[in-house]
Amino acid sequence: MTFDYHEPTSLREAIELGARFGVDGRFLAGGTDLMVQIHRGRLNPRHVVSLQCVPGLDAIEVDGAISLGARVTHRRIETTTDFQGALRALVEGAEVVGGHQVRNVATVGGNIVNASPAADVVVVLLALEARLTSLGPAGERTIALDGFGTAPGVTVLRPNELLTRASFPRLAPRTATAFLKAGRRRAMEISIACVAARLTLDAALERCQDVRIALGAVAPTAMRARSAERYLEGRPLTDEVTREAGRIAATECRPIGDVRASARYRALLVATLVPRVLARCLERIRFHTS
Amino acid sequence: MTQVTRIVGRSVPRMDAPGKVTGTALYAADFALPGMLYGRVLRSHEPHARLVRLDTSRAARLPGVRAVITAPDVPDVRYGGSVKDERVLARDRIRFAGQPLAAVAATSPDAAAAALAAIEVVCEPLVPVLDVAAALAPGAPLVHEAWASYTALPILHRDRNVCNRARIVVGDVERGFVEADRIFENRFTTSSVHQGYTEPRAAVAQWDSSGLVTVWSNTQLPFEIQTTLAEILQLPPSKVRIIVPGIGGGFGGKLRIGMEHFAALLAMRTGRPVKVMTTSEEELTAAYPRQPAIVEVKTGVTNDGRLTAREARLWFDTGAFAGSGPGVASVATLMLAGPYRIPNLLLEGFAVYTNKTNFGSFRAPSGPQANFAVESQMDIIADALGLDPLELRLKNIVREGEEGPTGQMLTAVGLEECLRRAADAIGWQDRRPEAGRGKGIACGWWTTTGGSSGVYVKINPDGTVALNTGAAEIGTAALTGAAQVLAEDLGVQLADINVVSADTLSTPYDFGAQGSRTAFAVGNACRAAVADLKRQILALASKHLGVEEHALALREGSVVGEGKRTTLGELARISQASGGGLIAHGTFVAPPTPYDAKRVEGHVYPAFHSPSFHAHAADLSVDAETGEITIHRYVVAQDVGFAVNPAAIEGQIEGGVAQGLGQALSEEIVYENGRVLNANLTDYKMPTTLDVPRVESILVQHPTLVGPFGAKGVGEPPNIEPPAAIANAVASATGVRITTLPITAEKVALALRARAT
Amino acid sequence: MTRIPLSLIINGQTHEVLAEPHRTLLDVLRTDLGLIGTKENCLEAECGVCTVLLEGAAVNACILLAAQCQGRAILTIEGLAAPGQLHPLQQAFIDHGAVQCGYCIPGMILAAKAYLDENPEPDENGVREALAGNLCRCTGYQRIIEATLSAARALRASPSSACRETAR
Repeated sequence: MTFDYHEPTSLREAIELGARFGVDGRFLAGGTDLMVQIHRGRLNPRHVVSLQCVPGLDAIEVDGAISLGARVTHRRIETTTDFQGALRALVEGAEVVGGHQVRNVATVGGNIVNASPAADVVVVLLALEARLTSLGPAGERTIALDGFGTAPGVTVLRPNELLTRASFPRLAPRTATAFLKAGRRRAMEISIACVAARLTLDAALERCQDVRIALGAVAPTAMRARSAERYLEGRPLTDEVTREAGRIAATECRPIGDVRASARYRALLVATLVPRVLARCLERIRFHTS
Repeated sequence: MTQVTRIVGRSVPRMDAPGKVTGTALYAADFALPGMLYGRVLRSHEPHARLVRLDTSRAARLPGVRAVITAPDVPDVRYGGSVKDERVLARDRIRFAGQPLAAVAATSPDAAAAALAAIEVVCEPLVPVLDVAAALAPGAPLVHEAWASYTALPILHRDRNVCNRARIVVGDVERGFVEADRIFENRFTTSSVHQGYTEPRAAVAQWDSSGLVTVWSNTQLPFEIQTTLAEILQLPPSKVRIIVPGIGGGFGGKLRIGMEHFAALLAMRTGRPVKVMTTSEEELTAAYPRQPAIVEVKTGVTNDGRLTAREARLWFDTGAFAGSGPGVASVATLMLAGPYRIPNLLLEGFAVYTNKTNFGSFRAPSGPQANFAVESQMDIIADALGLDPLELRLKNIVREGEEGPTGQMLTAVGLEECLRRAADAIGWQDRRPEAGRGKGIACGWWTTTGGSSGVYVKINPDGTVALNTGAAEIGTAALTGAAQVLAEDLGVQLADINVVSADTLSTPYDFGAQGSRTAFAVGNACRAAVADLKRQILALASKHLGVEEHALALREGSVVGEGKRTTLGELARISQASGGGLIAHGTFVAPPTPYDAKRVEGHVYPAFHSPSFHAHAADLSVDAETGEITIHRYVVAQDVGFAVNPAAIEGQIEGGVAQGLGQALSEEIVYENGRVLNANLTDYKMPTTLDVPRVESILVQHPTLVGPFGAKGVGEPPNIEPPAAIANAVASATGVRITTLPITAEKVALALRARAT
Repeated sequence: MTRIPLSLIINGQTHEVLAEPHRTLLDVLRTDLGLIGTKENCLEAECGVCTVLLEGAAVNACILLAAQCQGRAILTIEGLAAPGQLHPLQQAFIDHGAVQCGYCIPGMILAAKAYLDENPEPDENGVREALAGNLCRCTGYQRIIEATLSAARALRASPSSACRETAR
């Protein structure tokens, strides 16, 4: 459990160090995952490369597309006014992570790269169709968040790459988002199941024009409920319809049973939370356009 | 009985608060000495195995490592409270995953951790006994093959994997069941929960040149640890000194020996002070959490709701060692009877060995498990008979002057008042059928454990008072309560009192901070000391003032009479100069509670002393789809005898309910194949600020003759009723009855689904 | 493992420490600097007893490297008030019976302070939410919440009673 500590002051230097240390090194953002893994003996890096002095990673940009720097903390997302309206799911996903102490340091980038299938903000970003930008010795590339995680704790990020930001398109008119989480207690909780949705209504504000539904903690990675999405498109959003969407989503997910919950309960939660999340989106769209 | 009092009965701030809010109060986990080494314990991964070999040679050579010890390095001693079946380090048999195999001391925590990793363990796994059913099955492997040869309390009924069977028999249950119109048989199970103290167990040991070892530790029972450690080290107790600097919560988990023996043995080996502290993982795998239980209750009742008979059995998984099990199994039988008039009883409590950790004592041991079962069943009965659950209880609860299950006479029985006031407060009469919302009640009783306490009380020349007690303050403010009693009797201010506590060398014997006894016993010991001090004071003042003793009175730190006056401080100065000082020794031991010995067998705890009575009521909603429970209101009415410090008692109630709700709703140590799956605070779910409702406390006061100003023990009871109160409210809200703890949203949701299909 | 020199600003004072790079802030505070007011327990950011303020924000010292904290103002419980004085939060915790065993209290008070600094007019829900990362096993939180709300009122009434603000 001993390691050397490095504090690069530029992106280039950070990438160089990452390349130099390879699998013996780990980037340190908030440390809320890395330090716990080290403490539990699951990771034993020889080098820890802190990103806290690397400029250019902590901006929140809202103009056309929205971009979150990898080092943006959950706390900043929670308190960003621009996210309080139609993008409220971002706040809802961020504010249920850990307690204040964790949210003050835990970053979006760290959350994405840690690739827990239960990561709340990741589930929201998935529903927002986020794309990720990464930087490596070979330069920059853009990767879809959908498919970025391939298994719990595993992503397609290459060993020398550093995630620099996550961005997603601005919301179309008549669109709102919502996020709900289920857990055994009301704080300091890793989701048993969570659901995020981005819903766009038609001009008459009755039918679903476009919807994205993302599920967390019910598959090896955060996932899109694509069958449920297809079912909803063009349909009026009655209780019956949203419940059916929930049932379909429940059949799409592949939950496991573990010490936190059984697979059956997780599927049940998906069936319950999907209609509730959609109802919130509906409420928000109608409220904002009235 | 109302009394006019100055200090007792008032919600004065606790005396040790300023140190705690400024971070200057010292806890055992903070304690350090110059030149100190850091100790760690190597623990088994196998739940049941033959230990073949431990190779410590590589570990011993690592930089910074100063000692590595295994069983051959420590005295060949078996110890244990009720059965001597424990060793410090496993010799040739491993009996639970987490059992200590070796201990190391090194110059840094990192070096100690590296040493642990370098010890090679060779063992041959054996078939583990995973639970009570496996332990009791015919032909089950024996957790202790040599059980019959162990030294044990003679009163215990031991047989292979059963290390005690305690029993209460009253009347004739078969006849009682014949008399009944209806018979109800129900089965309940509860999980293991951890006390959850936020300060890890810690000990720092140092030997002096005379062969005396001092151990600073956060134990609740310094004198018991002194005895146990002396036994382990094969020394006279006078060669062992236990000092408690401060404790960050105990709840019973710090009663038995924790890290003290490892620290002492490593310090002996290295010649340097050694500190050993547990990790979170060790706490959740190898500590003394609450026994998991299986409870079967068969109760006979007439159609109009009169209980005629009860036959009940409770099996505790007591883990790899007997520990507290035999005693807890005894107390369980009293809790299976509950505070009810039941003329025919056959109640049995079993403590059963398995290959798991040495489950121990946790706030009201056996209480939540037994109460969950019997109070759930009361509601099942009420529902079946079409009776109001409150009325069913009122019809059957014991009253003043009636008998307890073992024949003890019950006095100061405040149970009816508790039930009625809790029911009123929760709006019991306003229950309306509302989908998904319901109210539940549960009631019970508990003891104020006996055991003796001594204090020295000394008056200083400046008029302040030193209270020297062997009791440890674990956070309940019991010592503030005792000091209030002292201040009241002596006529001084609370601020005039300084407390010295918990040092086996310099403080008088105390039975320890357990069983809700500390304020009660230490308070009474103070009263005895003050009675003696008053004699000394009046005699000296009489001589000094030239006034007859009978004309003198003690008032506000002075002695006055016939127009003359002297202060306690002046008298102390005079006495110091010529008489050795004003100092008194006070002791107290609760008089034994008479009971009918013919009714009990194998019973370590046959009667409840100065019993308390309590009723809890909950008002909650259940989300019909997710099963999530939201508690709107939670009320506790507790008969405390006399409230020495109302705010402190309410604090105990609020905290005890929060902890009890954890057991009721979210906490469980999950085992699979003898290993703990959730040995960290991420997955061991203790309630946060967002999980605990406001608790409304009603202090009912039916004073006991024995307690100081009539006080009874208050600390443990709030843990007892929450699981049953919640189970009953959930049943009321949904019609669904959950009979296992914790009552998770998952269980409720799946039960609702099952009922709908 | 080679030690590196670290310059830590704690409660307004600069401390020069030599420590291995993997040492946590919590460990350096308690072991090297003797500041035992910040407590240790789970070491995994789950319980909050190690809460300190880093540039005014509540953080778990157990998962922060001391090396990460160079040049960044840290406030521990020892720095909350001058010796012999009490911050309104400390006074309120005493007055409202919010302290039992006390082990969670330093972290709890600092988390409360960070919250009140940003939210001088809190409500009960806000306080509960802000303290959700601090486990208490003794009190059931009720009097801790009440004490925090009371301290907020006291601070509003008399802002200068916040005594020595040594790190922000």
